[in-house]
Amino acid sequence: MMGQFVVNNLFHRPVRTLIGVLAIAVEVMLVITIVGLTSGMLQETAKRIEGIGADILVQPSGTTIFMGFTGAPMPIKIGDKVKELKYVQYVSPALLQFNTAGGVETIWGIDPVTFRQVSNGFVFYEGRDMEGPDEMLIDDWQAKAKHVKLGDTYSVLNHDWKVVGIVEHGKAGRIFVPISALQALVGAHDKATIFLVRCTRPDHTEDVMDEIKEILPNNKVQPVKEYMSMMTSTNIPALQTFIHSMIALAVSIGLLVIFLSMYTTVLERTRDIGVLKSLGASKGLVVRVLLAETTLLCLLGIAAGIGLSYLVRASFLKMFPTLSILITPGWMIRAGLIAIVGAWVGASYPAWAASRKDAVEALAYD
Amino acid sequence: MAFTVTIRTNPTANTEPELKTLEPILKVDNVWKLYHAGKVEVPALRGVNFEVLPGESVAVMGPSGCGKSSLLYVIGGLATASRGRVLVDGNDLVTMSDGERTKLRRHKIGFVFQRFNLLPALTAKGNIAIAQYLHGDDFDPHRFEVVTKMLGLDGRLNHRPAEMSGGEQQRVAIARAIINEPKILLADEPTGNLDTKNSEVVLEMLRRLNKDLGQTVVMITHNPEATEYFDRVVHMRDGVIVDGIPAD
Repeated sequence: MMGQFVVNNLFHRPVRTLIGVLAIAVEVMLVITIVGLTSGMLQETAKRIEGIGADILVQPSGTTIFMGFTGAPMPIKIGDKVKELKYVQYVSPALLQFNTAGGVETIWGIDPVTFRQVSNGFVFYEGRDMEGPDEMLIDDWQAKAKHVKLGDTYSVLNHDWKVVGIVEHGKAGRIFVPISALQALVGAHDKATIFLVRCTRPDHTEDVMDEIKEILPNNKVQPVKEYMSMMTSTNIPALQTFIHSMIALAVSIGLLVIFLSMYTTVLERTRDIGVLKSLGASKGLVVRVLLAETTLLCLLGIAAGIGLSYLVRASFLKMFPTLSILITPGWMIRAGLIAIVGAWVGASYPAWAASRKDAVEALAYD
Repeated sequence: MAFTVTIRTNPTANTEPELKTLEPILKVDNVWKLYHAGKVEVPALRGVNFEVLPGESVAVMGPSGCGKSSLLYVIGGLATASRGRVLVDGNDLVTMSDGERTKLRRHKIGFVFQRFNLLPALTAKGNIAIAQYLHGDDFDPHRFEVVTKMLGLDGRLNHRPAEMSGGEQQRVAIARAIINEPKILLADEPTGNLDTKNSEVVLEMLRRLNKDLGQTVVMITHNPEATEYFDRVVHMRDGVIVDGIPAD
């Protein structure tokens, strides 16, 4: 009976219910999308590093998890030293450069020959590998996002490059240029940001790492597997703070809308509350009815929010094909729980106020 | 004070009726109700004394502001008396906690209001059934059928209040009030929002409830014609009962 009462109350005021559901849906969508965007981008970046096929990454000390942020590129001769070590099969240097004009992009300056050795080469959808200094490779997602075709000129770092190949995504970066050309362009002659090391066999990784640390004690030497495991938001303090802030913002929106919605509900239904009390409804029952209404509203909002998240992801990926938004069941549940707790907090005062209403005054309410 | 009344225990037997002593189902003893307007105390009831026997129907009449509604709310446990005693079926409402009064209301009192006060989100059936639910009983289809048939609500049970006439709404409100067989039915100007025809229907319903089912009814009214349907009429003025005139 009370279930029916709660459902009927919700559908008796469809616009109010719709607004409440939308508010919860937006809250849930924001949480799922923001977390999905950050974890998706991190995971996608990690997968691209894994996709290279290297076993070890050698970087300057103090390098952050975001490659290319370092301002201390290493001498390219380091690569030759590493190459001489036992169990090292191939070493490939790369110079990474951020480009913030027209969006954030990482330009990978690579040596085509050694990069091919370490990574077993690109899968070419169109075109060929780089041969000249002003040539560029881009992956298929970047080509789609920027509407670039084979043979087009692509301007990066105030320099025009000719796109000579479109490759399958999933290896290192999305934009590749010859390392020598990039070194010259940014004034980092004979410098590299990272060395990609491939061992003769993966189980030699530990031994090779020890040897590299011996000859390069001031550098950061990291197995790719470890890098993969570190590419989560929990390992990036600022990102974690950002995510928490966004979740707090989303929860605040939901909480305030639910508070307002339930507060107006209680005002609007003052006489009904008086009637319930005249029929012998306890304070606890009045609270339970309102919280049950909130919960149902919330469940509808959560379902709508999950649907909305997929819709937003589809729209985002259509507009920005290089984005990656990871929607996981775990975060759907967490977003739902966050929404329910937020809604209960928002509804608790109106519910408490309703339960304390004077029955006689409530019955006289117009 | 106990009333001595004559009750024919076997109406078919042609013998002298037995005499039984009945305790009042409602006893209002020197009840005061004070409202506070800022620092000023405004008395709505000034020492009301009033008793109702089981199965009796009583109309309370009086001008606006004389304290009729306050008396009804105090009797029904919706408001607390400032002083005095209010005994409903032997339970003193004045000494009860809010929770205890709520429980007593749930089990022993039925309300009918001037503005019907049906829950707009529920159908007529839902409005009646919710009272059964709050009473703690499962839906009793037999009792439900008896009550709704008696009140002529068949065919209107799946309609919401907004889809019903005032008379129909008030009959639903009566059904809701009596579905749990309360000890006392309290009606606050039940015909105040009805036209003459519907008023007569509602008053006749209340009379039948009283005469056929022995339902104790206390009704507040402005309408002198309404008093014809009741055993006893009590007049109030300035927060006190001024007399108790038998209707006929």
